[in-house]
Amino acid sequence: MNGYDQLIDDLRSDYRPQREWGTGRGVLLVIGHFFVGVAGGTWLLSTLYGITAGLVTAYVLGGLGGIVHLMFLGRPEIAFKMMRNVRTSWVSRGFVGLSMFLLGGGVYLAILLLSLSGPWDGIKMFAQTVAMLGTFTIIGYMGFAYTASKAIPYWHSPLHPALYIAYAVRGGVAALLVIAAATGTTVDVSLLQLWITSSVLATLFFVFEIQGAWTSGNIAAKWSARDVLSGRLAMTFYGGTLAIGLLVPVLLLISSAERPPVIMALIGIASAAGDFFMKLTTVKAGVYLPLVLPSRRRPAMS
Amino acid sequence: MRLGMVIDLKRCMGCHGCQMSCKAEHGTPPGIFFARLIKREEGHYPTARQILLPVLCNHCSDAPCVEVCPTGASHYAEHGIVDIDPELCVGCRSCMMACPYNNRYFNSDQRNYFGEAGPTPYEVARSARHRESVVMKCDFCKDRRAEGKDPACVANCAAKGRFFGDLDDPTSIVSKLIKDRSGFTLHPEAGTNPNVYYLAP
Repeated sequence: MNGYDQLIDDLRSDYRPQREWGTGRGVLLVIGHFFVGVAGGTWLLSTLYGITAGLVTAYVLGGLGGIVHLMFLGRPEIAFKMMRNVRTSWVSRGFVGLSMFLLGGGVYLAILLLSLSGPWDGIKMFAQTVAMLGTFTIIGYMGFAYTASKAIPYWHSPLHPALYIAYAVRGGVAALLVIAAATGTTVDVSLLQLWITSSVLATLFFVFEIQGAWTSGNIAAKWSARDVLSGRLAMTFYGGTLAIGLLVPVLLLISSAERPPVIMALIGIASAAGDFFMKLTTVKAGVYLPLVLPSRRRPAMS
Repeated sequence: MRLGMVIDLKRCMGCHGCQMSCKAEHGTPPGIFFARLIKREEGHYPTARQILLPVLCNHCSDAPCVEVCPTGASHYAEHGIVDIDPELCVGCRSCMMACPYNNRYFNSDQRNYFGEAGPTPYEVARSARHRESVVMKCDFCKDRRAEGKDPACVANCAAKGRFFGDLDDPTSIVSKLIKDRSGFTLHPEAGTNPNVYYLAP
């Protein structure tokens, strides 16, 4: 955006969508959050189901997510300074969590893949614990980072963290479905049940969030909900989040009772694509709280 | 000591003097205004009226931008002023999402007013000092205050509608105005305890 357009935009007193996250280079942040979310869910489920290929995939996705996050930053060369404010900043906590995930996960995977044992068992367990703590942090921090954004009423919702956690689990299942198809292993039926459960939960959280914004949110939250349902983001929402991310997987799931690997892979890919579009829609739907005089002006001091 | 500002909306005539003097003082890049004047219309004919609302960083006592900053670049400086250390800012822009007053700017790249003609000597002298890829905002004119002067927007307000002083001192002009004329803040529901107050139009 050039300086003149930016000025005109900033002199608006009403509808003003945020432009820093999700637009231009800001898309990198959404991609980073998508990779990191899927990485967290995949690591968690791969640990539970004992799938080594899943752990490797999660680690690679986590690394990619970290790189894309760094590419988004204005000054990535001092990114390590983001560890300084863990006390109050969710972005800082996310950075520490991802670092723990990559460090702990790297050591754990190295020991696992090299089949080291004996004195390495203790280190392996410690590394796994560090990686798991990092996993829980990266699954949770994104939603909280958005909720901490007081300027964007649509994100400033207690449902946002729950939504991102549900989507991380859904992303993890999607990755494991693709891995199962690629490695020719049979998909555990409980994995499909988990996909259905996480999809239902994510959809419910999303509906509640939109409903809350529409019925009891302030004007900026209503603008965001309008943008998603019938405005500038409707195409991405209906086409990407609903059609590709929900409708296609459900149709594939009910179309084949035998569930061949290729169908499982398609379900996984469509589901993951839907997750990305959901995150893109949510981030781009952020509209700043308008600057207006309060209708009832209370004296600030007595 | 807690420095703060009072803006008398009854005196504001929408001349944009605050915006321009701030721009001249800080030499901010194109599109970046630490102080802005927002105009809007309220009501319907025949009772419609124009609302003029000059805005700037509210230097909140409970600033959400300070809370969310991962590096501590956004911090409380002396006298309750919220400042940004450009050497620490990593450019994540989470502070911009946290500020309910939308008064932070990301200086994405070096821009100039005349495009391909390149920066003018004035721009070289004034704008080039700003670090790129970091967030910028009002600092209540740190350099002017060091010389014992009021912030540029206060000194240059043609209608004498801006006042600057110590909010902790009950005898200061700002404290008196807030008390006598029921000064109020923007978005009190955000719980940020701003230090920029307004007097009703």
